[in-house]
Amino acid sequence: MVSQIPVDDVATRADTPSAVEAAEAAQAGIPGARRRKRLGILFWVAVAYLTLLTLAAIFAPVLPLKDYAKTFRGTSKDGPSLTYWLGNDGAGHDIFSRIIYGAQVSLIVAFVGAIFALLIGGSIGLAAGYYRRRVDTIITAFTDATLVIPPLLLALSLILFLDPDAERRIFILILVFVLLSIAPIARVVRASTLVWSEREFVLAARTMGARNGRIMLREVLPNVAPALVSYALIVMANLIVVEGAVSFLGLSVPPPTPTWGDMINKGRTDLDVAAHIALFPAMAMFFTVLALNYVGDRLQERFEPRESVL
Amino acid sequence: MVRKLTERPSRIAVPLLILIVLWGFVVGPRIRWIFAALLIVGTAAAFLTNGRYALRRIMGIVPIMLVVSFLVFGLMASLPGDPAINILGPSATPDAVEQVRTELGLDQPFFNRYGDWLGDLVMGDLGTSVQRRQPVAEGIGQSITPSLQLMAYSVILASLLAFPLGVYAAYKQGRRPDRVINTVMLGFFAVPNFVIAVNLVLFLAIGGLSVFGTRLGLKILPGAGYVEFGEDPVEHFKRMLLPALSLALGQSAVFMRLLRSDMIGTLRLPFIDLARSKGLSTNRILWRHALRPSMFTLLTVMGFSVGALIGGAIITEVIFTMPGIGSFMLESITRRDYISVQGGTLVIATLYILTLVMVDFLYLALDPRLRTTGGGLGGGNG
Repeated sequence: MVSQIPVDDVATRADTPSAVEAAEAAQAGIPGARRRKRLGILFWVAVAYLTLLTLAAIFAPVLPLKDYAKTFRGTSKDGPSLTYWLGNDGAGHDIFSRIIYGAQVSLIVAFVGAIFALLIGGSIGLAAGYYRRRVDTIITAFTDATLVIPPLLLALSLILFLDPDAERRIFILILVFVLLSIAPIARVVRASTLVWSEREFVLAARTMGARNGRIMLREVLPNVAPALVSYALIVMANLIVVEGAVSFLGLSVPPPTPTWGDMINKGRTDLDVAAHIALFPAMAMFFTVLALNYVGDRLQERFEPRESVL
Repeated sequence: MVRKLTERPSRIAVPLLILIVLWGFVVGPRIRWIFAALLIVGTAAAFLTNGRYALRRIMGIVPIMLVVSFLVFGLMASLPGDPAINILGPSATPDAVEQVRTELGLDQPFFNRYGDWLGDLVMGDLGTSVQRRQPVAEGIGQSITPSLQLMAYSVILASLLAFPLGVYAAYKQGRRPDRVINTVMLGFFAVPNFVIAVNLVLFLAIGGLSVFGTRLGLKILPGAGYVEFGEDPVEHFKRMLLPALSLALGQSAVFMRLLRSDMIGTLRLPFIDLARSKGLSTNRILWRHALRPSMFTLLTVMGFSVGALIGGAIITEVIFTMPGIGSFMLESITRRDYISVQGGTLVIATLYILTLVMVDFLYLALDPRLRTTGGGLGGGNG
């Protein structure tokens, strides 16, 4: 049993790229480079916001929220008040509860989409980076080819052609979002795998007779995973934006279910008299996307200092 | 003299490219021809500089185009629903459906249809849209001009913002100006561009918010519509400013962050110390010495975003009611006009790929190491 524990796991941790680079940076005299960067207060604020939003979205039915579909008479376009925290929209709906319920759609679609894309894109990228040669050429050709088609265009055509009557829109949305995210994730995983599978411990595992599948799962994947997870957060942020764009065009989940993009679009006609109708959902989306990007960014910076740019 | 010029074609090519753009503005809005002229001059210059490199890049287009066209066609062909019924409506008689199917060639096997389509494509024929009763190529030709203009303006605006900020942030690395610029730019990066667009309309076009009785905002720009350059140049730019800006802000954040991080790397290299010890001014070091080698990643990404903007500005075009290719595609999609969707997607993808190749050619002008035949690095292929 003991021989099955990958010895190199412990041995290589000391000279992962981050440690090497930190040492180099320290040598170059960059202040604070040796210390591992702290995540900072903003990171935790962002995490708290995301947790709060997620919990609110999950428990929306049991929270004392107003009915999102109910028209409150005589409140059309009213600004924020104590009864209606974020005011009312043109139809007299309560904006606050619509934002919380709108978060359900955005978060579910982005989260489920990112998870599946992670599984599929991750395995494709792993295979391409590990086997190289022909597998890599074919996979890279396909990922490159899908990347030159604008994602929103692809999303819109698939949604409308696959589900013209909006009968199972949320499943189609998830399916489309998975398709959209596979290529970018596969690229990132491939690049990372290319580097890691060159390492000595992979060679060691191979000389010990480990099978390819085992090497990929036990040796390469654990090293690729941290960067992958932080990138997944950024993918989620992108998916929320795409969902926003799709619902802005009125092609996401059909009414009465509220979506952020649809709220912004509806509020657009009243911008001059009641800007809050569009601004509050826009802010909700902005903070969510910002928080996801920030968290993903900081994590990526921590795991992989070199590739923390985008 | 002549020999010198053939040694460095970028010396003629760059002024020539600028001339073409100016000519485009003076003569009229035929931006398609400008795009074509830019492609030709760029390719010619690249061939003169390093024929092998240029040839390799050009040949690289062929397989990608094959895969893309296969994907686009295959995707459209595998969608459920019969296009013939879509065109005729659900109450069509089986005979009529059969006739339309034959007309569209739908009774042929998949690979025959793909082959026919590909053959027509090579001849520049994207098919004829049944719903629009118009050749697809014509429809795209009419709508591509505003989109290309929008793309060009927003990339220019984004660069105008990103270059000074990126260089300055790299220079002040880790200090307050750097942190401020970074934080603000991350904000821009995170706002979806339709949210930026809505806000720009709110604060610059319709007079802004009313807070405690005072208006916070201006009413100086038109909030929608498109005017051709040839019709009224001033009005044209006025109408383009908001849409271009709404795309540019997000782009500039990406550009700035890339430039900053590459520039920080460059500023650590010994030749910068040398330049400083020669007594050169900081500005000269930053802009003449450090900028050029720090631009490669940025250029690649700029290529990507130019390509993405060609077809990706759907929402912006809808908000500002511009008759661009985004609107064209959206309309085709909602009308289930699959021939137009196919053709449009392929045109957009082609322009995207051509842009990336042009970026590869730009490396030749920027990186002297690539100019020698067989130049080792091979450039960044995105």
